[in-house]
Amino acid sequence: MLVHVPGPWSPLLGRLALSEIPYKNLILAPLFVLIVLVGLALVGWITKRGLWGYLWREWFTTVDHKKLGIMYIFLGLVMLFRGFIDGLMIRTQQMLAVGPGDNGIKAMGAIHGYLTPFHFGQIYSAHGLIMILLAATPLLVGLMNIIVPLQIGARDMAFPYLNALGFWITAAGAALIMISLFVGDFSHNGWFGYAPIFEMSYSPGVGVDYWIWTLELIALGTTLGSINFLATVVKMRAPGMTWGRLPVFTWSAVSANIIALTSFPCLQVALALVGADRYLGTHFFTAGFGGNLMLYTNLFWLWGHPEVYFVILPAFGMLGEIIPTFSEKPLFGYVAMVLATFAIAGVSWIVWLHHFFTMGMGPYVSTEFSVATMLVGIPTGVKVFNWAFTMYRGRISYTAAMHWALGALFLLLIGGLTGMMLSIPAINYMVHNSVFVVAHFHMMLLCIVYAVFGAVIYWWPKVFGFRLNEAWGKIMFWLFSAGTALVFIPMFMLGFMGETRRLDWPFDPHWAGLFDVQEFGIAIYVLSVVSFVVLLFVSIRDRAKERVGADAWGTSRSLEWLTDSPVPFYNFAMVPEINARDEVAWRREHGFLDIRPDHYKAIHMPNNTPVALYIGATLFLLGFALTWRIWWLSGIALLATVALMIWRSAKGDPGYVISAEEIARLDREARQKMPVDGGDTVPVGGFAGGQIMAYSREVSDQDRSHRGPKSW
Amino acid sequence: MTTKKWLQMGQYAAILLTTMLLGGCARHSPWWIFDPKGVGARASYDYMMIDIAVMLSIVGLTAIMIVWFMIRYRKGGGGGKYDGKWSHSMTIEFFTWGIPIAAVAFLSWAVAINGSFALNPYNPTVITHTMKPKGDPVDVDVIATDWQWLFIYPQFHHIAVANELVVPAHTPVFFKLTSTAVTTDFFVPQLVGMIDVMPGMRTKDALEVDHRGSYQGIAADYCGAGTSWMLFKTKVVSMRDFHRWVKTAEAQPETMNYHQFNEFARPYINVHYKTPIYGHVEPGLFNHVILEVMNGKKWPLPMFMTENMYAYLQKQAKEHRA
Ligand code: HEM
Ligand SMILES: [Cu+2]
Ligand SMILES: [Cu+2]
Repeated sequence: MLVHVPGPWSPLLGRLALSEIPYKNLILAPLFVLIVLVGLALVGWITKRGLWGYLWREWFTTVDHKKLGIMYIFLGLVMLFRGFIDGLMIRTQQMLAVGPGDNGIKAMGAIHGYLTPFHFGQIYSAHGLIMILLAATPLLVGLMNIIVPLQIGARDMAFPYLNALGFWITAAGAALIMISLFVGDFSHNGWFGYAPIFEMSYSPGVGVDYWIWTLELIALGTTLGSINFLATVVKMRAPGMTWGRLPVFTWSAVSANIIALTSFPCLQVALALVGADRYLGTHFFTAGFGGNLMLYTNLFWLWGHPEVYFVILPAFGMLGEIIPTFSEKPLFGYVAMVLATFAIAGVSWIVWLHHFFTMGMGPYVSTEFSVATMLVGIPTGVKVFNWAFTMYRGRISYTAAMHWALGALFLLLIGGLTGMMLSIPAINYMVHNSVFVVAHFHMMLLCIVYAVFGAVIYWWPKVFGFRLNEAWGKIMFWLFSAGTALVFIPMFMLGFMGETRRLDWPFDPHWAGLFDVQEFGIAIYVLSVVSFVVLLFVSIRDRAKERVGADAWGTSRSLEWLTDSPVPFYNFAMVPEINARDEVAWRREHGFLDIRPDHYKAIHMPNNTPVALYIGATLFLLGFALTWRIWWLSGIALLATVALMIWRSAKGDPGYVISAEEIARLDREARQKMPVDGGDTVPVGGFAGGQIMAYSREVSDQDRSHRGPKSW
Repeated sequence: MTTKKWLQMGQYAAILLTTMLLGGCARHSPWWIFDPKGVGARASYDYMMIDIAVMLSIVGLTAIMIVWFMIRYRKGGGGGKYDGKWSHSMTIEFFTWGIPIAAVAFLSWAVAINGSFALNPYNPTVITHTMKPKGDPVDVDVIATDWQWLFIYPQFHHIAVANELVVPAHTPVFFKLTSTAVTTDFFVPQLVGMIDVMPGMRTKDALEVDHRGSYQGIAADYCGAGTSWMLFKTKVVSMRDFHRWVKTAEAQPETMNYHQFNEFARPYINVHYKTPIYGHVEPGLFNHVILEVMNGKKWPLPMFMTENMYAYLQKQAKEHRA
């Protein structure tokens, strides 16, 4: 082997051994048993109901952008829960450990609190990585996946198979980080990793390797997804959907995915070099032998900063859809909004240094990056003002979705204020690496979570055909907000008290009171999680009462509200012709909302495929085998991945065609199912003197699929 | 109903904010950032207040405006006139861009640019230009190990002290910093902001304190299992007391050459708050360490200090209790 690996290694199992499974750990062992039991119960239930075939056909092998979106969101929610449990453990440790003396729980081997330092390090590292990359990102990608094609009037994403591949690779990353709980351990160096502590000499375990391969998988999945989004929006827009009419959410998806496509490769390269150091014994980021550890920090944040905008921009887009709908007004300053979105995306490239002003790069460089960072505040401010003026002269109804959207707006104000403090080196030196920074970015990331909850409530009826329970949505909002206030206001205060981040033992007893308040806040968060479960349960129970038609809220504005709820698998029976920026609002105003097509055309659809799932599985194996240095398994997994890719590419997918008659029948049935009466049948383009067209006339569906990217 | 709740939330926030700011004025307050005792920390504090004032006036007014819109334009009640078509106004657009631009321009000049020079760690003009020091500057070489601090005073017979920093008041202190194994941050919240200490490299920082006392120093960046214990007290004493301390330190029999340093730098969690003083260390130890690290010297972490620290920590805890 090229590098010396401390501890035993065998050709068959690599570094894996029974002792790597923490069966003695008082937290992990019971948790493992619990998970196994729940898992077995689930498998048993599915088998009893005979659901495997259904799951396989309709979900595991699907290439439908809506189903993949739902799976992304499901994954995001599961990981959000896992990340929340991590957060709960972090808070509990600090609350128990604070102050002098040895107050540790001896049975768990802790001097302070209930966790050893190393275990604590793993928990916050996993927390950060999971929340940013496996909770926020999949939630946003999932919502983009569902909504973007609908908003531009497309049948699916440009590359449906690639879409499935992106999902399964991301899921493989999630599986890898989850398995690190029970087999070996995870990195303890924070979600972004520090050089050179992640080198073999200072992190001799497998934790950092898990971290590398988890991140690599997610990065791969997200990059593939971003290509797909960009191709979709560029090539698949319905006739009349000019760039000037693109809904703001789609605009924000475009800008976010440009960021993702250009920045994720930086991360992949940085991590590949870390991998080279750890596996091949190179010296890219070592302190000695000409390595440059500051290079890692630069490369990481060169991705890391754009990444935070990759996650916030779609959230901004969601606010841009929810607020106008419930204010019953168009978005204020559409053009300014789009410009601001791209300004943020552009500037996000030249600010990465603000994450390490303390490296001592001198006043000229510091100033440049400080001013550049503050420039981001300008378009962000514009956006806030524009949302505010969208409500001005509006008619605001405070639905649950609107609650979440407005909550996000206030969090953004606090996050922006504190961000503008951090962007100034003179101030940054005092609070960098303190929990003040932690509170800052939690305001921003919670802004995303609020927007996502708002968006889930807002678009739920479009996907499932019924609305979520409003009362429980609001109860959850208030509980969640109380939790946020109780956890994060003390965190800002602790930052001003000088508490640095990542302390498994907070040494100053002055902090104790605020830790208790935070723990209370966590308890309220737990209640909000419970209320979320109740929300889902009550809504699904009462779904018959809450059935909605195409235009679920009655005041919606963009194109996705034109097609039936739930959306049929082919999205639109006939591709609509776009006449205005807020197409549905425009049709409502002119009384064309209920027009159905009078004739149909055949639709070309992609076939399902299990290959994406297989590749996800082989890549998971590859990550696992590399982590444990099981070379033979790595080789097999890599070969299998490549073989599957080649085989699938050679085979291609001709897709299948749904005949016009079949579409007509499905459309009729869907109309009968919907509570709101479908309107009159009007000849296509046959009203208002032929100037206005409801459905595409010039381009047949067959033509469209041939104009677009060819291979499904 | 909902608006009332929003207002209530605002009230709580206001109360919390005032307690927070009042807390900053109390004597010996735990609000270290609001209670600066060093020249650099005070300058940072001043810049922070300017920044907060400017930003809070904008963000606060915006929040009030939003709440007002929320109340006035709510459906069925607010009394605001509904205009479902209105979506643009050049005048408003002018202000929505103009206000942030003006604020950023002002902050760039007043705090970002000025502050970066005033508090440049390598040459903080608040210390080097504006202050009239009462004595000659004191140099301190700082070496961070896994997980201890070593402070060397090259001007004073190369005395050194571990895990405790002693400096005279009213006198500039210039630091050179490096690390043996991994990166961390040197930070004394009430005196001086953070600066990275990196293996194989040298950074600089400077300090001037105008209040005698004892201040907590912290390793602010995560650097492994011992991070939380990697603390040091900064004792700020009068010049006379400082020289007295130097005399006693010089009299200490313990010395340290590179070989002994090699032992000292092995991973060690300082749970017992040991602060050994060395009467003399090898001159040039600081540069020697940097050179060794550049040439690949490492102090690797043994496995028992990573995955399974149980045994190690229990041993340490037993010693601690004894
Ligand atoms: C007005 C806009 C913003 C400004 C001026 C700003 C400024 C900053 C600065 C200067 C830092 C570095 C703090 C330090 O480590 O010393 C930082 C950290 C951070 N910001 Fe922001 N930020 C803004 C918006 C956002 C947004 C929209 C997000 C994403 C959701 C975000 C997420 C983060 C994260 C995750 C970190 C810290 C990462 C870490 O150290 O673990 N920020 N921000
Ligand atoms: Cu950033
Ligand atoms: Cu450096």
